[in-house]
Amino acid sequence: MMRKYIAMLCMGIAMFITSSAFAILNLELTRGIAGAVPIAVHPFPVQGDMPREDVAAIISNDLRNSGRFKVYGDDSKKTDTKVVGRVLQVGDNKYQVSFQLVDALKDAEQSVLLTRNYTVPYSELRSVAHHISDLIFQQITGMRGVFSTRLAYIVLQHLPNGQTRHILEISDQDGYNAKPLLASYEPIMSPAWAPNGRKIAYVSFENRHTAIYIQDVATGARRLVSQVPGINGAPAWSPNGNKLALVLSKNVSPNIYVLDLMTGQMMQLTNDYYINTEPSWSPDGKSIVFTSNRSGNPQIYKMNLADRAVSRVTYEGKYNARASYTPDGNRLVVLNQDSGLFNIGTLDLDTGMFRILTNSGSDSQSPTMAPNGAMVLFGTWYKGQNVLGMAATDGSIQLRLPARNGEVQDPAWSPFLS
Amino acid sequence: MQLKKLAQVLLVAASVLAISACTHTKKNMNPNEGSSYDDPYDRTQGAQKAQASGAGSGANYGDGVSSKHATSKDVYYFDFDRSVVKSADMPAIYAKADYLLAHPKAKIILEGHTDPRGSREYNVGLGERRANAIADILKAKGVNPDQIRMLSYGAERLAAQGHSEEDYQMDRRAIFARIQQG
Repeated sequence: MMRKYIAMLCMGIAMFITSSAFAILNLELTRGIAGAVPIAVHPFPVQGDMPREDVAAIISNDLRNSGRFKVYGDDSKKTDTKVVGRVLQVGDNKYQVSFQLVDALKDAEQSVLLTRNYTVPYSELRSVAHHISDLIFQQITGMRGVFSTRLAYIVLQHLPNGQTRHILEISDQDGYNAKPLLASYEPIMSPAWAPNGRKIAYVSFENRHTAIYIQDVATGARRLVSQVPGINGAPAWSPNGNKLALVLSKNVSPNIYVLDLMTGQMMQLTNDYYINTEPSWSPDGKSIVFTSNRSGNPQIYKMNLADRAVSRVTYEGKYNARASYTPDGNRLVVLNQDSGLFNIGTLDLDTGMFRILTNSGSDSQSPTMAPNGAMVLFGTWYKGQNVLGMAATDGSIQLRLPARNGEVQDPAWSPFLS
Repeated sequence: MQLKKLAQVLLVAASVLAISACTHTKKNMNPNEGSSYDDPYDRTQGAQKAQASGAGSGANYGDGVSSKHATSKDVYYFDFDRSVVKSADMPAIYAKADYLLAHPKAKIILEGHTDPRGSREYNVGLGERRANAIADILKAKGVNPDQIRMLSYGAERLAAQGHSEEDYQMDRRAIFARIQQG
């Protein structure tokens, strides 16, 4: 038993061994927004040693994959809005990146919308490019950009010997800089970012027991949080990061608990013989939504934490699960099915209006929201493989993110990291 | 709390061991070696051999497929989002109860599985209900609950990799796996 455990951990503990410059996820825009903003991103001339990272190309890619921009190269005739900049080597390992966002329609004094200068080491050229994308996105859409955020997800590699390797991995939001956090021959699931983006809670089946761990993203150090008989699942951070909602069955029935991470105190929230799972906190931390089949089929319920009052939230469709709040608290993103495929939808909590976001032609699952609330990342199937998809929460955009090597599932979008 | 601390200490120790043992563990990765128990990994290996001779197609754990025709039935199938044991499976489960009653030192894992549709964590709950449904029958026959451990994989270990209803039927299952001989 111990040897098996060691063998499994072997893969897992040696972390951050590779940091590929190539994207593990390949974004393919399948449906863009109708009113996409035309923008020209001119190549940034380089003075000094040519870095591997092409800052203008990274910005172009970010803006294009947001679905909200129609990006041109230096053909400024097609658009009045353009991005110009340059990259200047100012030391052995130092580059100065400057850019301007220009609106050619405005008169000369008003034409520069943004202008910035950054001096960064070589290794930060990608992140400064994403930061510039964030600024441009915010200037033009009025919404905070998510180009500097990260994703966590599970990669499945089917080995020739019939076994499957499960890898918990994180990458930049554009799929680059993939880093493994844990690998195992047993399943890993339900990654959840701490609100400060420094830790990830997840479920691991290593040693043929379920357990919830919290792992430090930077150091790889991890802490066993729960390993009681039966299910240990569905970890969900409270908005302030001090508590973790989770699901324990204790071999009887899955119920929702809240663990105080400071004191270690465990509080039971539901106590019945149905399936109660997938807790998710409201942005104000005063209530949680969860999935329960107490009505016969899985539906979403809300519990007010002050008085433990429970009310049913979803009625549309015979299967609603895995709810999470939009950052403004006005809507829920849910996994929904009525008679056909499983889709991701949003439920407006004021009006009760339900809207389907996905129509990829196959089942979807595991929705996770971008911290600006504009996009949902989810798992789906494409050509017989588990891939990720992205959709705008207003239904306007869809992207597909197949993995370059293996399958990818169960994503979690990080909070804002800076 | 005390136990949790112990677990953490053990984990750190195991991690250190793991790193130092990395070069020697490759053969231990094959769960078949040194194991005489009929846990599902043995069937994984069996399915591999079957594949090599051309019986399978694509990646397949095969624990559903290969056990379907086993003389001693270890796999029990369920309907979508249901955990009701089929009456046709009762004689086989009673036979398992008799075995466990006759071998009080024997220990088993009841694995619960679902098809890949729907929500992953809900499926973990559903898989446990399926394992529980089998366990309840065993316990009603007088089997000591200490002989039974339940482990729900939800949709994380599919029997079939495809996405047809036929594949899904193979996925929705509970597996009786011996881990300690009586």
